Amino acid sequence: MGQVFQFLSSASLEMLTGRKACNLEELLSLIKTCSDTSIFYHTFSAFLKLREIQLPQNSDFAIWASMSLNEKALAEKLTAVDFSEHNTIEGLRRHLIDIIEAYKTEKPQAFQKTGDVPFYLYDIVRIEYRTDKFAYDLKSFRDVIKTVSIYSIYLHFIESRQRADLQRDDFSAWIEGDLEMPDLAQTIRRIDINVHTMEGLRTKIIRLIDEYLTGIN
Amino acid sequence: MSTPTLFDYQEVVGPDIVEELTILASHVGNRSIKMVNSTAVGGGVAEMLHRIVPLLNDMGIQTQWEVIKGDAAFFEITKAFHNALQGNRAHIQKELFETYMTYNEMNNSHMDFDEDLIVIHDPQPAALINWNPRRKNKWVWRCHIDMSHPSEQVWEFLRPHIEKYDAAIFSSALFSPELTIPQYRFYPAIDPLDEKNRHLEPSVIDAVLTKYGIPRDKPIVTQISRYDPWKDPVGVVRAFKMAKKYVDCRLVLIGDKAADDPETEKILESVKAEAGNDPDIHIILFSPSIAGEINAFQRAADIILQKSLREGFALTVSEALWKSRPVIGSAVGGIPAQVIDGYTGLLVHSVEGAGLGIRSLLTQQDFAKRLGENGHRRVKDEFLITKNLKRYLLMLLALDQPRSHRIFLNR
Repeated sequence: MGQVFQFLSSASLEMLTGRKACNLEELLSLIKTCSDTSIFYHTFSAFLKLREIQLPQNSDFAIWASMSLNEKALAEKLTAVDFSEHNTIEGLRRHLIDIIEAYKTEKPQAFQKTGDVPFYLYDIVRIEYRTDKFAYDLKSFRDVIKTVSIYSIYLHFIESRQRADLQRDDFSAWIEGDLEMPDLAQTIRRIDINVHTMEGLRTKIIRLIDEYLTGIN
Repeated sequence: MSTPTLFDYQEVVGPDIVEELTILASHVGNRSIKMVNSTAVGGGVAEMLHRIVPLLNDMGIQTQWEVIKGDAAFFEITKAFHNALQGNRAHIQKELFETYMTYNEMNNSHMDFDEDLIVIHDPQPAALINWNPRRKNKWVWRCHIDMSHPSEQVWEFLRPHIEKYDAAIFSSALFSPELTIPQYRFYPAIDPLDEKNRHLEPSVIDAVLTKYGIPRDKPIVTQISRYDPWKDPVGVVRAFKMAKKYVDCRLVLIGDKAADDPETEKILESVKAEAGNDPDIHIILFSPSIAGEINAFQRAADIILQKSLREGFALTVSEALWKSRPVIGSAVGGIPAQVIDGYTGLLVHSVEGAGLGIRSLLTQQDFAKRLGENGHRRVKDEFLITKNLKRYLLMLLALDQPRSHRIFLNR
């Protein structure tokens, strides 16, 4: 039996960098030169900011490509970017660059367009803190996860990946390492975040745990 | 109505959010804040401070609020600065800058700045920092206006003062100028428990509409804004008339006017002229606005318009979205941050667009309902006062470690 899981949570302050992109060439330049935290923020924070309203795009880059440039195909390619394909933020950055550069070859005229509104580059200060919620085993984990805020779920399932490996989230790591349940960990790791709201993600995790517990019993 | 406590917001935002606010407050500990602005009454900043200062104190963060003093001459100067920073290019005489500094120095001599975080709101008190060079605390300039195209003369005067601050806060990247200090984004916020936004019983709503002679026999389209050319009330009437050829509905235009402003009278006359004798167009002049009645009109509306030609953040949009009303807004200022086209409302670019939007939403009621529900969620996530409480707490914590992108509160 491993360690207790203490739920953390996080909150972010958005910093204006003063940098913006009005077209795809400028967006490419921003992506090549911005900080790792900016890359992660713009790729994944729409999950937190906008997912509850079920926008089809989950990345700020994709939202801008779709709504401001009306480049729907590029927006789809940017939305389809997946954790499972990368271990590092640098790998993620490289993938985003490859997508846009490939699009330049596929549709060069898109690079002549100016967006209706600029893409504003943000950076963030992320503050993490402990909650007073703990899990000792799978059942208590399941009970507590019902009550934590979506910021806690976002931290553990998405933001935590910045610490070590983009394919490694806190939940599946604990379930595999401390509870020694690799099969359950694997199913949680394979949740397709592109199709869930944050509340939907919570529900999905609980359902997978319930199915696992039912299977044991 | 008594001032709400933090725990009164639990029902609105959820116990988990309130719980996390108290956790953050515990990390802030016995640090303190002073807010300084130029008026205790009138305007969004004062309205916001009246709510947020008691709530910060309720969370155990000792927060003081001071208002700078000045006579009519000083406030004429700062009004000119305000307009200049928002793009008015009229030349300002050198003496007025000197007077501005004199008043700031005078106010500084009457104030203590012992708190851990000093938040100076808008340009009026911005120069206070000059007389506190050896400070140990943190000073932040909170700018509530659109500074994307400031007058060069005024900005070149003000900028050196602002760059003495530890950080600046703007409502949107759209509104921020170039600065050498860190800049943060704080969206403006509404208070879901104040008179303008709290729940109203249907009987209360009905009573308000009856008072103003508005029948409830057909869908109501509303715009609630000053009678000001930038709000395009004439455009709203035109859009309504276009839509009315296809869907039977009623337009209720509500606004107030700035005192002694002859321009407003002219606008009102042009709106009435455009409306003609249409019995389905109601033009109501509030003088002054009554928050509870605005709340009632927003809740009674089937569609709320904000067809502005130019806007600041337009927090009235968040008020409408909070009430789950479908909103048709112009794609200007801060409106697109609140209205995500097709998801939390409709964004339009013309009178014709607004007319089409009205037709669409009155005909496709399920779609309109979904927009309203999504809009409510968007406001709940980003534009409520509890979010701004969180932002101020985070600011206090982040300024401890200004170069860090990740701070872990290890306690």
